Amino acid sequence: MSSGAVLLEVRSLTKRFGGLTAVSRLDFDLREGEILGIIGPNGAGKSTTFNLIAGACAADAGEIRFAGQSVLGLPPHRIAARGIMRTFQHNRPFGGMPVLENVLVGAHTRFRSSLWRLVAGGGTAEEERQRRRAEELVDFVGLGGLHGADVGTLSFGQGRLLEIARGLAGEPRLMLFDEPAAGLTPGELERLAEIVRGIAARGIAVLLIEHDMRFLLPLAQRVVVLNFGAKIAEGTPQEVRRHPAVMEAYLGDAAAL
Amino acid sequence: MKAAARWAGTALVLSAVAFLLSPYYNDVYRKLLLWITLALSYNFLFGVCGQIAFSHFTFYGIGAYAVVILIFQLGLPLPVAIVAGTALCALVALAAAIPSTRLEGFYLGLATLALAQLFIVVLNEGGTLTGGTGGLANYRLPKVFGFELSGPRYTVVIVLLLIGTFALLARLDHSWFGRACRAVRDNPEAAAAMGVNVARTKVIAFAVTSALAGAAGMVYAFVDNTVNPPIFGLENAFLLLFMVIVGGAGRHAGAVAGAVFLFLLPFVLSPLIGHHHVLVFGVLMVAAIVLQPRGLIGIYDELRRRIA
Repeated sequence: MSSGAVLLEVRSLTKRFGGLTAVSRLDFDLREGEILGIIGPNGAGKSTTFNLIAGACAADAGEIRFAGQSVLGLPPHRIAARGIMRTFQHNRPFGGMPVLENVLVGAHTRFRSSLWRLVAGGGTAEEERQRRRAEELVDFVGLGGLHGADVGTLSFGQGRLLEIARGLAGEPRLMLFDEPAAGLTPGELERLAEIVRGIAARGIAVLLIEHDMRFLLPLAQRVVVLNFGAKIAEGTPQEVRRHPAVMEAYLGDAAAL
Repeated sequence: MKAAARWAGTALVLSAVAFLLSPYYNDVYRKLLLWITLALSYNFLFGVCGQIAFSHFTFYGIGAYAVVILIFQLGLPLPVAIVAGTALCALVALAAAIPSTRLEGFYLGLATLALAQLFIVVLNEGGTLTGGTGGLANYRLPKVFGFELSGPRYTVVIVLLLIGTFALLARLDHSWFGRACRAVRDNPEAAAAMGVNVARTKVIAFAVTSALAGAAGMVYAFVDNTVNPPIFGLENAFLLLFMVIVGGAGRHAGAVAGAVFLFLLPFVLSPLIGHHHVLVFGVLMVAAIVLQPRGLIGIYDELRRRIA
């Protein structure tokens, strides 16, 4: 289904909080252009896994390799510079800047002009180029016409789209989505699924942490199911849906599947 | 190129004004230009980068004292003193920035307040080197390449300082660096996720703006031809903060408006209510925070929207 090369390799990843093992010896791979979903009941370790890959917290054991190199223990800004960008579950826009400027912050690691060059009056061509790219991305996520809008005036759904455009501005090879469906209307969910497919079609690997199965299962090509920090199943959405361990983990919530 | 022409034109107009003013008003004009210069760099630190630091006026003082001590106490030639003075400011700024910017909000405020107080203690206890409580006086700017810079001609130096500071900050603001500073101010965690090195961005912003304040201080040293501890005390440090907040933090035009407004206000109020004008400042400050957080420039924006 996905023919791209392996981009992200997670091996024996483990994270403990005191006596609680939030993520336990987790293994999975992610290929270029592939859409992988990580699902699981509340407290399964989804968010911790996300934070470990994004560099927001440090692992106790294991390895995360990205494009053949270890990214384990790198701070978030260096992870972004490697080509891993993210969205936040609770939108975190830069409130003092209009929409387009927010997206341009996402392109931060793509700028090559040094501070000295800026002081000497250089770097204007690069600024213009990035600005045009940011405009294209704002249009791509469907916020065209809102380039100069104050982010405070955006709806929650529009704010989520801004998060995506901002992440894409960093020219990621891997895009991480933290519960992107949370708080969106059915119409917005449809639009979001379309955008995620469009991102994968550009050859970008997509990792979604998601709660909402009705959104995730039709979208993901492969799903990893977590429960109590451990992987209990992995496969295509169809395989996972019929998996006994998954049905047990979601017992009483069969409608969700 | 168009931008360069605009800066040159502004410098020309501001310089021309100096030659029309009497010596008294030239002195007032020079101080106004210096306050605007300081408000611009402080606005970048406080308004754009969101660092609540009280050390900005201290760096102004370090620059002023440094250039006077280097030339008249240590006998260095003027160009060497200027280079050494700037280097000293940048060095002290870096030394202060690296531990300070690891602190946030309230704690950064306290640390920089301590630095500001320490500076005053050092000035008072500095013996003959700093001139103690009386400071240093009775010196004159040496000739620059055989050219005497006095009267309106020295005002032109201040205009060039202001334009240079403004142009530099505007360049930085409309670049990846300015956006990184604003991102750090608005949401440090999201900024880091976008690839911004938060600590490094804060240190650079602190060092650059503090060095600019130091440069302004060096120029100030030859305005009154005296430097003494009370000038660099907390009263002026807070006035600077008021200027940026009342004008509209985060906007260059706001810093200019706030500096002009609060600098000229005492000239209007003093004949009416004497030293009670400080009280009016306090009320204005509270009013700005409660009623118009975007300051004078926010009021201007609002008016323009209504007319349009």
